[in-house]
Amino acid sequence: MSGDSPRPESGRGSEPSTGHAGRLEIGRRALTSPATVATTILLIVPFALGWLRTALFSPLALPGYVIYSIGTAIGNAIEPRFEFWVYWVPFLGACYGIAVSVGTAYEWVRVRRAAGDNTGSDRSPGESSESRQLDN
Amino acid sequence: MRRRSALAAVTTLAGTAIAGVVSRPGGNDPLLAAAREGRDDIVTETTRLLPDTVHETTLYELTAPEPGPTVIVFGGVHGDERNGIEAAHDVTEWAPDAGRLVVVPETDRVAVENDERGGVDGDLNRHFPANQDPTSDLARGIWNAVERYDPDVVLDLHRSLGIYGFHQEYVGQTLFHSTDAHGRAIANALTADAVPWYLPFHRFTSQESTAGGPLLFQKAAAELDATSYLFETTAFLLDHATMTEQSRLATAHVLAAHGGLEYDTGIGVAGAPESGQESETEPDGGTNA
Repeated sequence: MSGDSPRPESGRGSEPSTGHAGRLEIGRRALTSPATVATTILLIVPFALGWLRTALFSPLALPGYVIYSIGTAIGNAIEPRFEFWVYWVPFLGACYGIAVSVGTAYEWVRVRRAAGDNTGSDRSPGESSESRQLDN
Repeated sequence: MRRRSALAAVTTLAGTAIAGVVSRPGGNDPLLAAAREGRDDIVTETTRLLPDTVHETTLYELTAPEPGPTVIVFGGVHGDERNGIEAAHDVTEWAPDAGRLVVVPETDRVAVENDERGGVDGDLNRHFPANQDPTSDLARGIWNAVERYDPDVVLDLHRSLGIYGFHQEYVGQTLFHSTDAHGRAIANALTADAVPWYLPFHRFTSQESTAGGPLLFQKAAAELDATSYLFETTAFLLDHATMTEQSRLATAHVLAAHGGLEYDTGIGVAGAPESGQESETEPDGGTNA
């Protein structure tokens, strides 16, 4: 018996602890989290459709529209000679940055929920929320 | 549970998109239809301005049997602003209910053919100093025609690359106008007709312009006492079809507001009560909500 405590597996199947390493793990997961991907798509795709053809603008494009427009306003105030298409590069970066923030929050909530589930020892193992709902 | 969440997300997104399509402004087709399908007994004449020169361009004169204002519409003062050129060409086939509608779709023909802002002598819209002679042959030829018609209303159609007050040095989504014009009311009507609520930075604004500048519409206001407008749409996030449609709508609203169309837009003559006097109806804020 080595006496070593079992190390948490890294990867999507494990739940990170709440220490420094745990925060890093949450950050790493947030880069490709489903919430990050979904937010990126939501910010970019509807706006890109409207950019291609004005008739394709919809309310879903509003967040991307606001980010891109304000970005061009700031950029144009700093350096007026750039054409507006140049601002697609910072726009994509900004959208991904916002999406990672959302993904981080999502992963943090997931970890908190998982930790809460693990400490709930008065529940029999394997009892899922769905099965409890069925009992009610 | 995940399937239920995914279904809820898809339903929400689809609902939002459908709500957007449903709430999109219609573009005021009745007003444009009134402009296109007015009277049958319109007399159309064409004149060549600056004939036998590189600047030779066509002027269209559409005269309705009922007396009314003389309205001049210019497109192509800047040759690369295709929305104004296309809209002005469309306007040559309109049928005003009263007065005379004069249209010059390709004002700086050399610039139009080269698809450039300026022509032989540079930017035409800087060649009209108030109370002085125009500073180029083309400008003199255009101004002679304007003086000959002595218009009540002048409208010059343009487009900018950015948005006025939002992007430095750009003037898009603005209706510049002389002091006696219905600029604010028409700008609000254009927002209601053509700008969806989810493009808030594209709402039209109006801006009163000093009459002392070197622009064609400023000279017309200063020397001929014409009610003058300079319409600017924007290429920022708007495609050619949208810019052209906005230019058509601006022309139709100006025409209706000054009595060229018998269509009640609630602005100017079109919104006049029984007294027959011009009254400016100013909708509260942007009315596209």
